[in-house]
Amino acid sequence: MSGDAHSSGGWIGASLLRKEDARHLAGKAMFVADVRLPGLQDIAFVRSQIAHGRIVSMAKPAGAESRVFTIADFPSLHVLEAGPELDAFRQSPYPALASDKVRYVGQAMAACVAPTRALAEDLAELVQVDCSELPAVVDAIAAMSPGSARLFESWADNAYITRTISAGDLSRLKDAPIRLRRKFRMNRQATVSLETRGVVAHWDARLEELVVYLSTQGGHVMRLGLARALGLPENQIRVIAPDVGGGFGGKNRLLPEEIAVCAIALKVGHPVRWIEDRREHLLASVHCRDHHYDLIVSADSEGHLLGIEGDVHIDAGAYALWPTGSFMEASMAAGNLPGPYRIKALSVNTFTVATNKAPMGPYRGVARPGACFAIERLVDEVALHMGIEPYELRKRNLVTREEMPYNTVAGLKLDTGDYHDALDTAAAMVDIPAVRRRQAERKPGEPRIGVGFAVYTEQSGHGVVEWSKRKSRVVPGYESANVRMLPDGSVTIHVGVQNHGQGHETTLAQIAAHELSLDPSQIRIRYGDTATTPFGFGSFASRSIVFAGGAVGTTTRRLAEKIRLIGAHFLQADPKDVRIENGHVISQSGSVAFSEIALAANIRQEMLPQGMDPLLDMTGTYEPTESAGVFSYGTHAVVVEVDEATGGVKILDYAVSEDCGTMINPMIVDGQVQGGISQGIGTGLYEEIPFNAEGQPLATTFADYMMPCATEIPTVRIAHSVTPAKVTEYGVKGVGEGGAIAPPAALANAVADAFRDCKASFNETPLTPRRVWDAVQIARAGAAS
Amino acid sequence: MKPSPFDYARPASLDLALATMAEHADSASLIAGGQSLVPLLNLRMAPSELIVDISRLLELREIRDLGDRVFLGAGLTHAMFEDGVAPDPGNGLMRKTAENIAYRAIRCHGTIGGSVAMADPAADWPAVLLALGAVAILRSEGAERRVTMNDLLVGTYETSLHQGEIIVGFEIAKLPPTARTSYIKFNKKVGAFATSLAVAVHGETTRVVIAGAGSRARILRKTSEALATGADAIACIGGDLDEIMSEPDAYLRQLHVTTITRAIGEVLGA
Amino acid sequence: MTRISLHVNGTAVERDVEPRTSLADFLRESCALTATHLGCEHGACGACTVLVDGMIARSCLKFAVMCEGREVVTLEGLADDALSDTIKQAFHESHALQCGFCTPGMLMAARDLLSRNPIPSEDQVRAALAGHICRCTGYSGIVHAIILASRRLIPVE
Repeated sequence: MSGDAHSSGGWIGASLLRKEDARHLAGKAMFVADVRLPGLQDIAFVRSQIAHGRIVSMAKPAGAESRVFTIADFPSLHVLEAGPELDAFRQSPYPALASDKVRYVGQAMAACVAPTRALAEDLAELVQVDCSELPAVVDAIAAMSPGSARLFESWADNAYITRTISAGDLSRLKDAPIRLRRKFRMNRQATVSLETRGVVAHWDARLEELVVYLSTQGGHVMRLGLARALGLPENQIRVIAPDVGGGFGGKNRLLPEEIAVCAIALKVGHPVRWIEDRREHLLASVHCRDHHYDLIVSADSEGHLLGIEGDVHIDAGAYALWPTGSFMEASMAAGNLPGPYRIKALSVNTFTVATNKAPMGPYRGVARPGACFAIERLVDEVALHMGIEPYELRKRNLVTREEMPYNTVAGLKLDTGDYHDALDTAAAMVDIPAVRRRQAERKPGEPRIGVGFAVYTEQSGHGVVEWSKRKSRVVPGYESANVRMLPDGSVTIHVGVQNHGQGHETTLAQIAAHELSLDPSQIRIRYGDTATTPFGFGSFASRSIVFAGGAVGTTTRRLAEKIRLIGAHFLQADPKDVRIENGHVISQSGSVAFSEIALAANIRQEMLPQGMDPLLDMTGTYEPTESAGVFSYGTHAVVVEVDEATGGVKILDYAVSEDCGTMINPMIVDGQVQGGISQGIGTGLYEEIPFNAEGQPLATTFADYMMPCATEIPTVRIAHSVTPAKVTEYGVKGVGEGGAIAPPAALANAVADAFRDCKASFNETPLTPRRVWDAVQIARAGAAS
Repeated sequence: MKPSPFDYARPASLDLALATMAEHADSASLIAGGQSLVPLLNLRMAPSELIVDISRLLELREIRDLGDRVFLGAGLTHAMFEDGVAPDPGNGLMRKTAENIAYRAIRCHGTIGGSVAMADPAADWPAVLLALGAVAILRSEGAERRVTMNDLLVGTYETSLHQGEIIVGFEIAKLPPTARTSYIKFNKKVGAFATSLAVAVHGETTRVVIAGAGSRARILRKTSEALATGADAIACIGGDLDEIMSEPDAYLRQLHVTTITRAIGEVLGA
Repeated sequence: MTRISLHVNGTAVERDVEPRTSLADFLRESCALTATHLGCEHGACGACTVLVDGMIARSCLKFAVMCEGREVVTLEGLADDALSDTIKQAFHESHALQCGFCTPGMLMAARDLLSRNPIPSEDQVRAALAGHICRCTGYSGIVHAIILASRRLIPVE
């Protein structure tokens, strides 16, 4: 990581230090909770104490009726239809405040307004709630049995949707020489942005609009949802996302509290604020993962993987979140099961199941950490069965560079790259022979050592084709940029994506600087305000550098061309004989500064070429030339030490070989990789929200929800390859999610490697010390009997 | 996540604090460092009408050398032990303990007495003070009594402190230089409460203590005796744990056996 | 309400507060010092770390009334602090922040460590950061930054 300046103006690929750092380091950032408005009051929610019940009555405390709100106070509020636009997807109306039933512990039932949050919480304690409890549905697989209690009476069973994904020739599988059945489980967790969710809302009487400060990943889409829920035209809602303290998917859904706060703001005549506290976050914010796999992998006697069959259950919680619900979780899990392997047959029944738990939403990696865990564990299990190195089995099955573009059996088009090279590089980095030597030299009583691999792909830049295929309610097929050169030649660019840590103010400025031959310091990137930015979808799905980078690149390129034409006119040169360089248009005989050109374009129209429109102000949209997506990829390799007696796992070495195409800012890419892996290690080893039989969540504070810190997360060694994408500007591919996908699989494979003598299976995350120990005991007991 | 309302008092002396506690015994909570209490207050899990702040009472920060013993005020913070500001009659055991409690920002404010009074079953100080044979000095209005750690600890978040009583400090015998100690903590991540904590002191007196098993820290009787007499202490662990662990749990049992075995190994110099 | 007077970032401050008001809320709501962030309100995330009489403290675990007469320093109060400047520059160069929400607490912890232990080992740096949650960076930039700052403060041969 260095701040080395670019060489000769090559801003693409420069590890430019971030423009957004200064305000954070000075303590001058502004998050939603920092917004101060006169008359601001706080909101606290009354939340369900039970997992499933019918609301008999809710009584407001005497004297506080005007400060306590239930759904009855908002008769005109609309319930948003959520989930994919598929008839087979059952609707799960999710009101802003519970109406007839509560369906998970923590569901918001009433909202209380008071001058401070403490007073609002006092009020919330006085609201009398009477519920008749119903049986809680807590197990996604049992929920599908005929006798199970149902969350929605009108549904025939508890599935939002059931689908079978079947492709390729399944007939060869039954008689395959190797057929292994394994069950995997990736448990439920939370997204845990360090800044929780938050809303500040007020009615601006002058502008006649609702102003909503919202901690979100995409203000424009949230405005759409708010407008529909509130019944307001979109031009009377302004959503401002100031500094956003992480999102990771969790802030890419419109949650009922956010609608309720806005509805209250419309009623009370003063600004209101709700800042989610950490308990609320763990109880009732977006939950994630909770995948269950029951799979059979088939392989021939040489270890060529032939197919995967089985069931995938996604425990999707009590409601589908607007806009898309969690349907993609199942379809993407199934679709990614073949991984980057030459697997020719796939038959997976997917069940997206409603349970009495907080609703599931997207979380960094969406579905793929589960799919990667399943396929990569299966690969290791086949290797163990055959007695060969898992590395070797992967070599036999990975798609080769020559085969690309490669259409997987699930219909994903793996575009460019060299998966074998990534695997070889990672293997060399951790030095498998050295690990094997250490294992052989281990003395009894010493900790065990294991090495594990996981290969992954990360789809990004997918547009219309892919999102339409998923029947998405919102199709984020493009991004937009508005580029303005002001009279003095300085540049402001408004974009529709939402920086929440990714460094867009820096990377997008680098792209614009590249196109405009300016220094990035002369370019300001703005976002996060629907009043000033062009429509865009926000930042998620590893899409920002492809889409917003493309929009900024192509639009600044058009602007540069106009500047060049004006410059040629000034220089009285043929446009084909001038170029732009270092903020000037240059001909053989002279040069003119952008500032002179910008001045003319903005305030001295008469100086422009005949017929040319004034202004240097362009808005453009961008979509890649193919919208099925481009695939970043890589291999994670991890060496762990396992204390057999305690089950404790310690990471000794973590190496990654990855390729995300062209890197705009390698420092930021490394930050995304390291940060993603940190979250993946959280999934793999630490983070979990268990539930008891009554549907009570058992990790509602950080005392029980284990967040890894600097003592738990190693510094990852990262090797890059660069295979530029063919269908994106500059050859970029997204990189936000990849780091989070592979760690659970790599870690489980490493722990399994440490115990390959007893063939213990580590098939459930997080691999807590207890789970590790239990798995070894089960394997030993099995071997003994 | 804000506390219920409460009144606040900061008595200027220990006597005034005791008088305040006597007057409001049913409804008052003491706060010293507050590092365990405040989270519970914030979560509205331990409502209290009156918070009596004893964090500034110098009487609770006294350190007295009593010859073969040391008196350590209950208001000494973990960081004072970590930094060597407070003496360590445990030959380094107390310092090591302090270093491993939660995080530095917590250690700068949390107190040894507060930790004992909170009586979390997995907490560090109750186990270590038990292993060191500490005697707690308890004051109430007009009275003082001395209670062994074994008698002070009762159960989960439960001590034999009377209403209105304050732990003023601990008397701890200085370990001879030849005594060996060990502190083995297993937790899910650094700074988290222990899943299993074994503490061993082996010298003129020998005590092996386990925390995280059962509702409070306990001395492993037979194991300690065996270790003291040179018998096979490891062989006694299982029997002791049978008496301590309330529910059968193969993993935890194995984990406790492991931490205890390692602690014994350390004091035996293995 | 209880009247309290204390020093915040070197300035005498006198305010009425509810006894239950945390130091964090007092700083943020009464003193308009919003660099101190609340990430958990139960002492586990570190985002609200400030200095109280020179000792680092979780401001969510102190009530403002307990700070009567104390010297409280927040990140805003370290604007002209040479040690902090070195650390901040190292954070910038090491890509030690992404969303920035944990950053104030991290800077406080880093400054506290280097003022007690000017040449910490990597393990000591990591131990000092335990209890400070960063969801974005995976910590390596932060660890790197603190070691870098240490080297700049006390150049080693």
